[in-house]
Amino acid sequence: MAGTVLGTTIMVDGEISGEDPVVVQGTVKGRVELGAPLVVAEGGVVEADVTTVSVEIAGSVTGNIQARERVEVRTDGRVVGDIKAPRILIADGAVFKGNVDVEG
Amino acid sequence: MATGDSPCIIGKGTRIKGNLTGAEDLVIEGRLQGHIHMRSHLTLEESADVEASIVADALTIRGKVRGSIQVSQVVNVAGGAAVQADLKAPRVAIEPGARFTGRIDMDVPLPVDL
Repeated sequence: MAGTVLGTTIMVDGEISGEDPVVVQGTVKGRVELGAPLVVAEGGVVEADVTTVSVEIAGSVTGNIQARERVEVRTDGRVVGDIKAPRILIADGAVFKGNVDVEG
Repeated sequence: MATGDSPCIIGKGTRIKGNLTGAEDLVIEGRLQGHIHMRSHLTLEESADVEASIVADALTIRGKVRGSIQVSQVVNVAGGAAVQADLKAPRVAIEPGARFTGRIDMDVPLPVDL
């Protein structure tokens, strides 16, 4: 997949923005603002408020998530924070704590 | 690792402001402002625009860099690169066509009586 891949040892403390899809396998703290999808891979840790097109979470996210299209929390995913998106999918086995706002 | 041995990359359309640390090879094609601390090989591609203090094991520059650079092994400044930085490294190669403004410190042992 083209775009940005932040590997397991990579740690970003700050702000990530842009129009490329981003895959997080490492750790991101701060803020994420993308005009593209975000994937938090297994083992990936995001401690940030996230604004994107869509999010797929197999790792851990602590922070509020706002997606233009959809949010998917996979079986091994873990989210602590509020999710706002038109489509939200939480898989069986996922850990979630927060508010859900599925806009009409 | 989730996606196998796919390279670690900061794409053309991505901007990062802040601190970036890591211990695996990284290619930057996008923009970064802040600090980079990598215990690995860092490559700044043609499209890269980096304004940072950089610490790395090895560094290849093909794009634009401003800031300070400290590398423990070797720095390669390719033709077409534009560097405005103070550079500290034991080995430095600058290719024809590269633009470089700044100090280079190779830590040369000076004679005692100098």
